[in-house]
Amino acid sequence: MSNVKELIGIEYDPYSFEVEKGKIKEFAMAIGDDNPIYYNLESAQIEGFKRIPIPLTYLTVIDLWGGYGFQEKMEKLKLNVTNILHGEQEYEFLKDVYAGDILTVTAKVTKVETKKGTLGGMDLITTESKYTNQNGELVAISKNVLIQLH
Amino acid sequence: MYFEEIKVGHSFPNIKKEEITRIQLVKYAGASGDFNPLHTVEEAGEQAGTGIIAHGMLIMGMTAQGITSWIPRKYVKKLNVRFKKMTFPGEVIQISGRVLEKKENKLVVCEVFAKNSEGEVKVSGTFEAILPSKEKVS
Repeated sequence: MSNVKELIGIEYDPYSFEVEKGKIKEFAMAIGDDNPIYYNLESAQIEGFKRIPIPLTYLTVIDLWGGYGFQEKMEKLKLNVTNILHGEQEYEFLKDVYAGDILTVTAKVTKVETKKGTLGGMDLITTESKYTNQNGELVAISKNVLIQLH
Repeated sequence: MYFEEIKVGHSFPNIKKEEITRIQLVKYAGASGDFNPLHTVEEAGEQAGTGIIAHGMLIMGMTAQGITSWIPRKYVKKLNVRFKKMTFPGEVIQISGRVLEKKENKLVVCEVFAKNSEGEVKVSGTFEAILPSKEKVS
């Protein structure tokens, strides 16, 4: 990419994916998170949830299984896979997200900064994703910062 | 847990995770859908010059586990982390955290770290939670 600033405003095609109970369990188990709210409806309800909720980092499952894999994302942004690092990640929840919900995601590149860091020159590419449930409610927003080393 | 009970500067109990294994990275790859070969394929790790490295998002997941062991998941509204260092199979991650600030509307801001046994910071970040209050809501 000749001018990395040109990435600003690039939008991904929207994608939808269902939040699955079995996938929540698989994800929590892979992390080694034994919080019973992710495995058991009764435990989730005791904590005040209607159904089984998602772990704080679960939306990555929606993105990677439902949307763009890492390679596809790199192609879309025309970035070179070998000098890309995941710099920063943020999740903000506006409403609870439950097993059984169907989320639709819209994502776009919102910011590109060029900096000098400890690893030399780098571009910081921020993608913001918005997650809407089947009732049309905005439930979460994520920010992902990729670092492209020069 | 109530907003009034939380003190600025309070440190949460450290959560010590089990040693990261290659099997765990395979499980996390499948669960998350992140099949970057750097996390599971020996040759890809060698080619990159790093060896096999753990998914940064796995360490963030462990960080989230720590947070929701301190404060119920229901109350946690925001988590932001920076990935500082690569993590390798065989390392043991510990999650630590501390209350930074109490704000209006029962919001607490806390910091969180994932470090290895030597104290090297792998992930650092902040999280926000909205806690219930002892005050009666009119």
